[in-house]
Amino acid sequence: MISPASMDAVFQALANATRREMLDIVRDDPGISVGAVASRFDVSRIAVMRHLSVLEEAGLVISDKRGRTRHLYMNAVPIQMIHDRWTSEYSALWAGRMLDIKYLAEQRRAREGRDDKADTDARNKGEMS
Amino acid sequence: MTEAAAKHMSGEVRTSMYRVIIKAGIDQVWSELIRTDRPMPFFFNGQYDTPGLGEGAAFAMRTPDGKHTLVMGKVIEFEPPHRYAHTFRFTTSDDPVSIVRYVLKPVDGGVEFTLINEHAASDPVSKSEKQMAQGAKFICENLKALVETGKATMGGRMMLFMFSLMAPMTPKAALSTNWPLERAPDLSENSVKEEA
Repeated sequence: MISPASMDAVFQALANATRREMLDIVRDDPGISVGAVASRFDVSRIAVMRHLSVLEEAGLVISDKRGRTRHLYMNAVPIQMIHDRWTSEYSALWAGRMLDIKYLAEQRRAREGRDDKADTDARNKGEMS
Repeated sequence: MTEAAAKHMSGEVRTSMYRVIIKAGIDQVWSELIRTDRPMPFFFNGQYDTPGLGEGAAFAMRTPDGKHTLVMGKVIEFEPPHRYAHTFRFTTSDDPVSIVRYVLKPVDGGVEFTLINEHAASDPVSKSEKQMAQGAKFICENLKALVETGKATMGGRMMLFMFSLMAPMTPKAALSTNWPLERAPDLSENSVKEEA
C-alpha cells in the first residue's frame, strides 16, 4: 500500500540518530514546539529545522501552526504501513511473542547480574529456556 | 460552560494526530468517510445510525446486523468536504468523552487525510485513549486502501473476520437496545461524571 518513494523517504529519515532522537522527543511530548525541540540539541536551529523537515516530508512528523508557534506531533501511520508491508496478522502475533520473551529474558539478566550462574539457576528452576 | 468543555475550547487538550496521503479526489474520500448506507470496513465494520450527519446530529456506530453498538457520538463540526468532527465514547466503557476530528486537504497527487484525537489534558490516559490510538492507525491505513483499491488491507480483512467470530462474545452493555440515539454524548458529560 505504501509507495516505494514514500518508503524510501521513511527509511532515509530514520537512518539518522539525531532524527530518531527528535522523533522520540516528539512522540513523548505531543504538541511540543519547534523551539523546545531545538533547545534539546547542541546544534544550530537551522540544522534542527532541516532535520525536522526531513521527518515531516517522510510523514513521520506533523506540524500544526497556531499563531506564531509550530507544534509537532508524531505520525505513526507510515511505520504501521511498513510493518504491515512485511507481516500478516499471524506473523505479527508470533513475532510479538518472540519479542516479549526476548525483553523478559533481558530484563531478568539485567536484574540478576550477568554471570552464568544466574542463567543456570533460572534454567534449573525451569523458568528460562 | 462546563469545565471540560471549557478546557477543550481553551486548548488544554492532549492531542494525537495520524495522517496519510490518499491518491483520490477529495469528494471521493469525503463520501467514504461519511457513508451511512453500509458498514465501513475502515471503521471496524461499524455502520452509522443517524437521522443524517450534520452539525448537532447524534449518531450510533452499530454492527452490520444492528444488534450491537460500538460507539456513540454527536457531530460538532461538519464542513463538506474538508472538516468533520464529533464527540466519541465507546459503549463498553465509562471513560471520559473525547473528540475525533477529520481534516481533508487537497495536495499534489491526492488528499491529505488527518485524523486527530483530542482528550481533555486533565483526564489521565484512559484505556479508551489507548484503543483509539491503535484504531486511528487502522482507520487511516484502511480508508486509504478502500478508496485506492476498493477493499481493506489484508490485515484489515483478517481483523474484520476475527471480529465476526467474536461477535457472540460482545458484552451485553453493547446491545443496541441499550443505546438509543438520545444517549449520544455531549462533551459536558465529562464534568457531570466528575461531580458524581
